[in-house]
This record gives sequence, C-alpha cells and structure tokens, in this order.
Amino acid sequence: MEQRAHFTRKLEELKLMVLRMAALAESAVHKSVKAFLEGDADLAEEIIKGDSAINDLEDEIDAFNLELLALDQPMAVDLRTIVGSMRITVNLERLGDEAVNLSHRAMFLSSRPPLPFNSKMEKLSETSKAMLADSLRAFVDGDVRLAEQVCRTDDEADRLTIQLLKEFINDMVTESRIVERGVHAIIAARHLERIADLATNIAESVAFIVEGDSLKHNCRG
Amino acid sequence: MGNIKVSSENLDFYYSDFKALEDITMDFEANKVTALIGPSGCGKSTFLRCINRMNDLIAGTRVDGRMTLDGENIYAQGLDVVSLRRRIGMVFQKPNPFPKTVFENVAYGLRVNGLKDKALLEERVEESLKGAALWDEVKDRLNTSALGLSGGQQQRLCIARALAVEPEVLLMDEPASALDPIATQKIEDLIHELKKNFTIIIVTHSMQQAARVSDKTAFFYMGRLIEVDSTKQMFTKPKNKQTEDYITGRFG
Ligand SMILES: Nc1ncnc2c1ncn2[C@@H]1O[C@H](COP(=O)(O)OP(=O)(O)O)[C@@H](O)[C@H]1O
Ligand SMILES: [Mg+2]
Repeated sequence: MEQRAHFTRKLEELKLMVLRMAALAESAVHKSVKAFLEGDADLAEEIIKGDSAINDLEDEIDAFNLELLALDQPMAVDLRTIVGSMRITVNLERLGDEAVNLSHRAMFLSSRPPLPFNSKMEKLSETSKAMLADSLRAFVDGDVRLAEQVCRTDDEADRLTIQLLKEFINDMVTESRIVERGVHAIIAARHLERIADLATNIAESVAFIVEGDSLKHNCRG
Repeated sequence: MGNIKVSSENLDFYYSDFKALEDITMDFEANKVTALIGPSGCGKSTFLRCINRMNDLIAGTRVDGRMTLDGENIYAQGLDVVSLRRRIGMVFQKPNPFPKTVFENVAYGLRVNGLKDKALLEERVEESLKGAALWDEVKDRLNTSALGLSGGQQQRLCIARALAVEPEVLLMDEPASALDPIATQKIEDLIHELKKNFTIIIVTHSMQQAARVSDKTAFFYMGRLIEVDSTKQMFTKPKNKQTEDYITGRFG
C-alpha cells in the first residue's frame, strides 16, 4: 500500500472542498457584477440569500483543517497546503461578502434610471473576474507563474479604479442629477477593486503552498 | 553560525567491506540540539557512534575522513579514547542501569575516575540527578535498586549517570523510543534544559520529536547526508525532494 494513503486522500478531499467553495464564491461574484450592470434586483437578492452557503463551507473547511492538523501532524508541503488553504478560504469568504456588497448597490440602483457609467465599470469588472479565475486556476494547477501574473495584474486593477473614480467625479460635476447614483457607483467600483485584491491574496497563498515563499515582496509595489 | 563543537569532515565509515557512511560533512553547534533523522538502517546510529568512537569496539570497522571535537581530530593517533568518552557521553535506546542502587549508578563513573571523597560524591550525585530532573522522585530511595524504577525514571537515571562525569557533548540514540508518552515528554523537556550546558546530538525515529526538541535537523538516507538545516526550515520547507518525501511520510 502507498504510504500515508489515508492522509493523501484527506488532502484531496480538502482540495475538493476548497474548490467547491471557490466555485460558489466565483459564481456569486459573476452574478453580482451582472446584477449591478443590468440593474437586476432579483438576481441581487438571490446572491445575498446565497451567501450563507459560502460561510457554512468556510466553517466546514476550518473544522476539517483543524482535524488534519491535530490528528495527522502534517509537515512541509502538507503543512503548507493546509495553512495555505485556510488562507484561501478566508479570502473566498470575503469574496462572497464583496458580492453581497455589490448586490446591495445593484438593488439600490435597480430602482433608478440606468447609469451612464456602465461601460466604464465593465473593464474593471472584467479585470477583477479574470484575476479571480486565474488565481483559482493557479490553485488547481499549483501554477506559481500564473499566480505571479495575477499579482502583477493587481496594479492594473488599481489603476483602472483610480481612472474610473476621476471620470465619475467629472461626470458628477457636469451633471448634478446623477450624484446620488454616482456615489453608489463609486462604492461599487471600490468593491470591484477589492475583489481584485482578494484574488491577489489567493494567488499569494498558492505561491506559499507550492514554494513556501510569499509573493508579497516581489510583485506588489 | 555559533560556536562549532563537533565537526565531521568527509567522513566515510566501513563495517568490513560494507560502506555504511559516505562523505558526511556537517557541523554541530555548541549548546544546540541537532537531530539525526532518516529511515531505519540509513546510518544514524553508526554516525552517532563515530562521534565518540564507540564503533572502535566493533571488529573490522574503519573510518576515513575527520571527526573533530573543539577542532581536534578525535581519530588522531594516540588520542586517549577513555577521556574522549568522558567528554562525549552517550545515552542509549533502552535504559541500561546497572543492577546496583540508584546512588551507585550515578556514582559509578565518578568512582572510575578516582573520586573517593564521600561528601563530594554525594554532592555530585545529587547535582547529576537534579540535572536529569530525577532528584525529587528518587531522593528518598537512593539506596534502593535502580531496577525498581520505572522505564522513564531508569532512562533519566542513565542521563544522570552520563552527566555525572561532566561531559561536554551528549549523544542520545532514540532515548525515548522505549518510553510511554508522559515519560517521553519528560525526556524532551529535559533535553531543552540540558542544552543550556551541553551540546546534544539525538537520533530519533520520530519526526515530531525531532521537530519538538531540536534546533537543527539532519536527514540521512542510505549512508549519506541528504540535507541539514535549521529544524524550522526542514519541517516547513525542505529544499530537497527526498527530504520532503520522508518528512511528509511518503517513504521510509
Ligand atoms: N555491527 C554491525 N555490523 C555490520 N553492519 C552493521 C552493524 N551495525 C549496523 N550495520 C549496518 O549499517 C547500516 C546502518 O545501520 P545503523 O547505523 O544502525 O542505522 P540506523 O541507526 O539509521 O537505523 C545498516 O545497513 C546496518 O545493517
Ligand atoms: Mg539506530
């Protein structure tokens, strides 16, 4: 029999649980962006209601990890996998929260006339979603190069956000009727930028699992 | 890097034709605990016995390379092996007290070294038993047979016996492998205390034990030293794939 087969199976199980949570979080993020851009209040409500499933999975994974730590006393890459996956789930849980936050903005704005800002928001939301997708793929494949790329893209997300805020402010200055909606849009942009940050955290955890090093120092300015 | 107490330089070791150790080069820092780990038969005990020339007692053995204590080659011609073994004490896997009283077990080495003064003997026995964290448990039964002690107590008695002659280095070959978890815990606590005064080299088959007690860990495989580093590094991110596979229980 393969050595430590039982433990290896439990690590696989852990990975599957994290992926299940990741799928829920990613789907919530996608839907919240859609709800926001399309002013879809029903979809927003669905996301808000669905968040507890993500929270529950985090608790489940925490308990599973605690048990692995206590009963199997993992070392080296196994230890890093467990600690790293705990970090990832913390960030997945926060992604769920950001999707909820974005959904609240979506619900508010759904009862208002459409915004002139949407096309500008699209670029940022696409960047954030792509970073999230890449960070999760890096986790699945243990791909540190891809994780590094996610980290580097974070600067792009920050830059887009700043640019967006400037444009919003300009728009609001010229047209005061949109100030209320504009403020909500600014908050929404902030949530999108935060999603990119959380994807970056996940990418950093991937590098920690695979190589034992944090990317923090070499790819974030 | 701290003060180097013991150093192995390109050391090869043979049991007749069988080369049990090949090209071992590593340093042991003073007042640190170094753990030797690796699968059974990889040469840990052989290497440990090279450090105080216990292998000399086995016919047909041979050493190439150097082993130094405070920079002096312990395999140099004319070196006094008895005094070497006084400076480098050893504790074995199975507690092996003499069938004598607790007191005599500890006093034995001192008597062999010619200490006769009764008051001084008593003082040193007490000190040694305290050093081995055994005094409180045996102070009222110093004149009863050591064989009546529990396994854990017997092992600490053997440590006290080793300490009595005031060694500089303490070699331990799986000192807790015959003990229950509580007795093991006591030995591990003791090791943390002892390193203040001694340089400790411990062979252990328990990775968790190596992680708990040592400052540095050396991984041996098939007679070779594969990797040696700080214990922290070895158990969180070893550099070598074989080390990682062994430490995570994938082989060995
Ligand atoms: N007295 C001996 N004579 C011949 N071979 C020995 C002797 N002692 C150990 N060996 C061999 O040397 C190798 C290393 O043994 P040892 O140092 O006891 O390993 P470990 O302590 O890592 O289990 C093994 O292959 C073992 O069979
Ligand atoms: Mg051995």
